[in-house]
Amino acid sequence: MSKLIIGVPSKGRLQENTFGFFSRAGMSLVRARGDRDYRGVVEGIDDIEVAFLSASEIAGELARGSIHMGVTGEDLLAEGVPDREQKIVMLAPLGFGFANVVVAVPEAWIDVRTMADVEEVAAAFHARHHRRMRVATKYINLTRRYFSTHGVSDYRIVESHGATEGAPAAGTAELVVDITTTGATLAANGLKVIDDGTILKSEANLVASTVADWSAEAREAARQVFFRIAGEENGRKLREIRTQLAAPVEQATLDQFGASLPFGTGSRVTIIHCPARNVGALADALTRAGAQAVTVSALAYVFRSENPVFDRLSARIG
Amino acid sequence: MPLSRNRQETELAALFARHGYVPSDVPILQPAEAFVELSGEDIRRRLFLVTDEAGEEMCLRPEFTIPAAQAYIAKGLGRPLDLAFIGPVFRQRADGPGEFVQASLESFGRADIAAADADLLAIAMETEAALGGSFTIRIGDVGLTSALISALKIPPSIARKIRQNGLHRTEAKPATANGLSSYQGVLAALQGADPAEARAFVKDLLSIAGLKAVGGRTPAEIADRFLEKARDTGVGLNDEQAGIIDQFRTISGTLQGVAREVQDLARAASLDLSAAIARFEDRAALFDKKGLDAKRMTASTAFARNLDYYTGFVFEFVGNGMDKPAIAGGRYDGLLRRLGAPQDIPAVGCAIWLERFGSAA
Repeated sequence: MSKLIIGVPSKGRLQENTFGFFSRAGMSLVRARGDRDYRGVVEGIDDIEVAFLSASEIAGELARGSIHMGVTGEDLLAEGVPDREQKIVMLAPLGFGFANVVVAVPEAWIDVRTMADVEEVAAAFHARHHRRMRVATKYINLTRRYFSTHGVSDYRIVESHGATEGAPAAGTAELVVDITTTGATLAANGLKVIDDGTILKSEANLVASTVADWSAEAREAARQVFFRIAGEENGRKLREIRTQLAAPVEQATLDQFGASLPFGTGSRVTIIHCPARNVGALADALTRAGAQAVTVSALAYVFRSENPVFDRLSARIG
Repeated sequence: MPLSRNRQETELAALFARHGYVPSDVPILQPAEAFVELSGEDIRRRLFLVTDEAGEEMCLRPEFTIPAAQAYIAKGLGRPLDLAFIGPVFRQRADGPGEFVQASLESFGRADIAAADADLLAIAMETEAALGGSFTIRIGDVGLTSALISALKIPPSIARKIRQNGLHRTEAKPATANGLSSYQGVLAALQGADPAEARAFVKDLLSIAGLKAVGGRTPAEIADRFLEKARDTGVGLNDEQAGIIDQFRTISGTLQGVAREVQDLARAASLDLSAAIARFEDRAALFDKKGLDAKRMTASTAFARNLDYYTGFVFEFVGNGMDKPAIAGGRYDGLLRRLGAPQDIPAVGCAIWLERFGSAA
């Protein structure tokens, strides 16, 4: 396992967003034989193998250590990896794949707003129907933990790996625990999220396995991946400002705006890197400090020698 | 002197046979349904589950009682039967191997309740001696707690919570409307309304809103819950009830002492617990008659294992720094009907964890 193996979602919006993420960072993912291929490579970095898997498989493979890194949702990690702290390290939230794992009951249950109501209804249901209330979900562990925390024990789980929201109408369950983004699917199926029913707010993350076999090649490839990702993120968030000043710009002014001098104070033209949201205010301060003109340009990448994400991973894998 | 594993099992088999227990067995592979329906997700996450070709969920037996009861319902109804089991059972546990040996005694159908209780405790003490253990024996009686709850006329929703959580977490707070708190006006209007009228009204309202039954609850069920909430909201344990429960649950000591203290409490509070106390005392008298050493037993009202399952006598052999018992059991008269028997059948039994007795390497 000497190459770095990265697990990437094989279909849907997660796949699109992951491709976009890597591509923006200058690391296009290439599926050698087209969309059907389960293996791929990363353009521009050697020693990487991309494995196309479902997001839940990625969580499992990370826990087993058969892949080094992967893109997957927090919901699947919380569900599928019981002792997460030992087995994985969350490297970076990716800004997509937002969804919540929620407890949803039929809208017709107008008497149910909270988990305390669910607890009472479960007991009454069991007594009246002589069987336990059924919860359809694929989040078996999350559901057990959440229900247990809220004192609900009079229920049973019916495993459901697709179209969970249809279970109550189909009569295979009374309520559901499911993942939702807009809530539209739940509403379309006559379900509502109870007030304290948000079990987990999930986002896609770049995750590493601490139990995988981290060879020297894999570590080097990971270092390069993080280097490029950080470069793209800095470039996206920063702007380059050029101006001419009689005296060097004051450090206090830079600090005020979270800005820095990437090349020090050598030349007459002062080059500053500043967070995009602060350029207006800093430009204003510079003109007040004597600058005649202040130009601002976007940056494609800003690469730095520090690699904090790699340092964090190294600390965990030793 | 600790015994080796096979000798333990042989000794126990002989001991049980001497007391008239029939050596029995049930398949290791069992349908998971009965266990899950009875104990819910709490047991299900501990089960080793497999699915057979027909898609039915099976498990490796986590214990003997339910399969034993099912076998009794199928073949033995109508006469008392004492069954003994020794063999491996299977549970996913954080603190031990998933496979471990248990011995289990189940006594079904004996109408002489107190005598059956005493006989079982006697065998448990002989088992302890045979296996070379020395534990503290804790005794409880779920019947006392149930009698107190009835006598105090505790609101049903609070009684249910007590049965579920035990006496140590009494819900003295008044019941809240929870999700229905936004309907305070409606609840107030329903309080004291004629139940049939109120039910019909709420049902009709739900129908007008176009809300049909979705997911197994009917409009009638929802209406009933509105009514129950209207009746129970703001009704909690009053100070007197809470005080009596607090006093009750601290009573512990010798069997005689506990009986006396419960009697005193009942008299002071003008509650009739005489039937339950009489059963407790009859049992204690039989322990004496059988020569069981009362000095080894500590009774307490708060010691009640799982009030929804056990219905009377409960006991545990604990000690040696363990928080899990080496022997534990009690009376569960409600179980067989729940498993499909045509009526309630007296049943009392216990499980013995052989791994919790020392054994030769």
